[in-house]
Amino acid sequence: MIAFINVDKTYANGTAALSQINLKIGKGEFVAVIGLSGAGKSTLIRCINRMHDITGGQLNVDGIDVSKLRGKQVRRLRRRIGMIFQSFNLVTRTSVINNVLVSFAPDLPMWRKLTGIYTRDQKLKALEALEKVGILDKAFVRVDQLSGGQQQRVALARTLAQSPDIILADEPIASLDPVTSKMVMDDFKRINQDMNITVIMNIHHVEVALDYADRIIGVRKGAVVFDGPSGKVTQEILDYIYGGGGPNDEAAASLEEERSTHVR
Amino acid sequence: MYDKIFPPKRIVLPSGKTVLQRRTRVPLIVLLLAAAVAWSVQLTEFNLHMLVTRIGEFFKFIGDMTPPRWDYLPHLWRALAATLQMSLLGSMLGSLLALPMAVAASTNIIRNRALVSLAKIVLSLLRTLPTLVTALIATFVFGLGPMAGVVAIMLFTVSYVGKLLYEQIENIDMGPFEAMESIGMTRLEAFRYAVIPQVLPSYLSTSLFCFEGNVRYASILGYVGAGGVGLLINENIGWRDYGGVGMIITALIVTVYVIETVSEHFRKKLI
Amino acid sequence: MTTLEKQLLAAPNNRRYRVTVTAIVLLLLAWSLAAVSFKDMNESGWNIAVRILSGITHPDLDLLLNVSEQSVPYLLLQTVAIAFMGTIVGAVVSVPLAFLAASNIVPKPAAWLTRLLLIAIRTIPALVYGLMFIRVSGPGPFAGVLTVGITSIGMLTKLYVDAIEELDVRVLESMTSIGCTTFEKVRFGIIPQLLSLFLSVTIYRFDMNMREASILGLVGAGGIGAPLIFAMNSYKWNQVGSILIGLVILILLIEWISNKLRARLVQG
Repeated sequence: MIAFINVDKTYANGTAALSQINLKIGKGEFVAVIGLSGAGKSTLIRCINRMHDITGGQLNVDGIDVSKLRGKQVRRLRRRIGMIFQSFNLVTRTSVINNVLVSFAPDLPMWRKLTGIYTRDQKLKALEALEKVGILDKAFVRVDQLSGGQQQRVALARTLAQSPDIILADEPIASLDPVTSKMVMDDFKRINQDMNITVIMNIHHVEVALDYADRIIGVRKGAVVFDGPSGKVTQEILDYIYGGGGPNDEAAASLEEERSTHVR
Repeated sequence: MYDKIFPPKRIVLPSGKTVLQRRTRVPLIVLLLAAAVAWSVQLTEFNLHMLVTRIGEFFKFIGDMTPPRWDYLPHLWRALAATLQMSLLGSMLGSLLALPMAVAASTNIIRNRALVSLAKIVLSLLRTLPTLVTALIATFVFGLGPMAGVVAIMLFTVSYVGKLLYEQIENIDMGPFEAMESIGMTRLEAFRYAVIPQVLPSYLSTSLFCFEGNVRYASILGYVGAGGVGLLINENIGWRDYGGVGMIITALIVTVYVIETVSEHFRKKLI
Repeated sequence: MTTLEKQLLAAPNNRRYRVTVTAIVLLLLAWSLAAVSFKDMNESGWNIAVRILSGITHPDLDLLLNVSEQSVPYLLLQTVAIAFMGTIVGAVVSVPLAFLAASNIVPKPAAWLTRLLLIAIRTIPALVYGLMFIRVSGPGPFAGVLTVGITSIGMLTKLYVDAIEELDVRVLESMTSIGCTTFEKVRFGIIPQLLSLFLSVTIYRFDMNMREASILGLVGAGGIGAPLIFAMNSYKWNQVGSILIGLVILILLIEWISNKLRARLVQG
């Protein structure tokens, strides 16, 4: 279980990205986080695996206070949490299977790290992960020969090979076309249901989010403004999350945009 | 500055609009270049007349070197081998040392600003020193012989490969690095699994290219006593044995050509 | 699991190739280790290393700062002049050679022949050229200019050829359609494309020639090299220090200027 208790996050340059976040996410949930760019979605999920540090409050993962972890403990936490990125973040110059195998690398002895030689067992596990996302036949192809959708599934296989309890996905389909987006989202759904892995996803496409996720969290200007089952989301709620209504909102949105580029 | 002294020209179009055209700087540049040439001609005692009347001597020298004295070839093997050994060892050690230096000089890997600037300064200082000068200093420290050559070539390789490598590392896609950190790797492990695969081919290619150049450099290091064929060239010119010099140069051309061909083959495979 | 194992066996196996390459590299390394010897390195070696360092940290300031014909500034200026004139000589020779070696300008055999000549020119070590040109002009900076010039030819020509072979010929096509003569096509279609690239390459080579020119003094071809050797051979380490400091500052300065100029040339 993941619990945010009065979490604040202020960047070094003084920008407040998150304020007073209170959330509880249970095991096996499929959560979509929606909101404008720069609203704090990305920061929210990156705090869970300590890619960002929180500046106030408490964030617990399975009862462990994440902000108290140091060095090796942080890495041990991250071993249990998979992460998927908008731009896939694969090493494109090497083969698909090598990209999946890196999941095992942190536990390897030194000589294996230096030479990059893996055991047969690990290779089988990597292939198994590839099979789960349906690209077993591409195992020995170089990543740069694959389409965007296939690359995102390699990234998914890399995360699965880690056998995580939680998968964090930061805009996983933002650089994919609608058809491949659907395939990748289907993969997420299957992984979530079959393996009971918690999925927390930032997503721009509201319809997709409503279709796939069980629960929607709406973030606006660093605060949670909606939290409920996807069936309960109405047009008014969306308008509010995306800042419709007031005359100043467009200006506020562009300000947020600017702020987000500042932060990154 | 220039625009203030020569204000831009106003062009009024028939439609009444005005366009400002900046004055061209070409005359100034040409003037400066001409002045530099004139001054340099004086400083270097440049003399076209002498060049035209006496260039025959240059070709006479080449004429003296041909045909090369083939019976000199057997005396050459040891020196040629020493030249190759120097450049091989110097290039290998230098490329290996360049790796940590380049990492230390990469702003996106090392967070410590002071260390990064220190590494960058060391690399550019090393690159500034001409190889022959480092070789000469090395002969004083390590004695005459190939060892001094190895040190000089190694230092040059570190600076050359190191600079190109850190530029590569600073320009890579940091996405995979982030992904490796999210998997639970240390920065060092993330470097190993995310950065090395991206830069390895060009690193090896640069090292090979540097090795090619080093063979050519190693052949003159002997001139300052750092071993290899350079020493023989120096001696033979002293004894006016130009056929021997011709033989050495022929052997060098063949060696360099062979090494360049082999190295080019591997470099093409790497990319 | 069977499909998995089948796929595992399908892994491309290049282990033999890797092992062979590794073995060859290791053999070469072992062979070249013969060049290592510390037997000539006795205590005086360390002493000298220490003395060189102290010389560099205590340079001969008088030599570094006065302006006579033996002073560091004068000799450095001469070195710059050698590199500068040498680059110009090299560029003047390289331009026609580059057109002769460009396979889209001249027939293939002619281009190939020119390239062979270039390999030969490139392989002869600079110092040998230095010795050859001293016979032409006598010892002095002029021999240095000629040497720097001829050693520049290899690289300059190669990079010029690259620029020529990447010429955008569509411009010429459109100029033909306007009705331009050959001269007009060369003047307004080709030269503008090549000039900035050629200049950029030449400036880069000038930067490299600084290092070249600073060692030619070794064979008596002028510049800062001769006094450097002289100071070293007579163990005047503080003079060595002042010369090296001057040289390093100068080379870094020229590298900086050259990078600035080339960046402006590329951006237009």
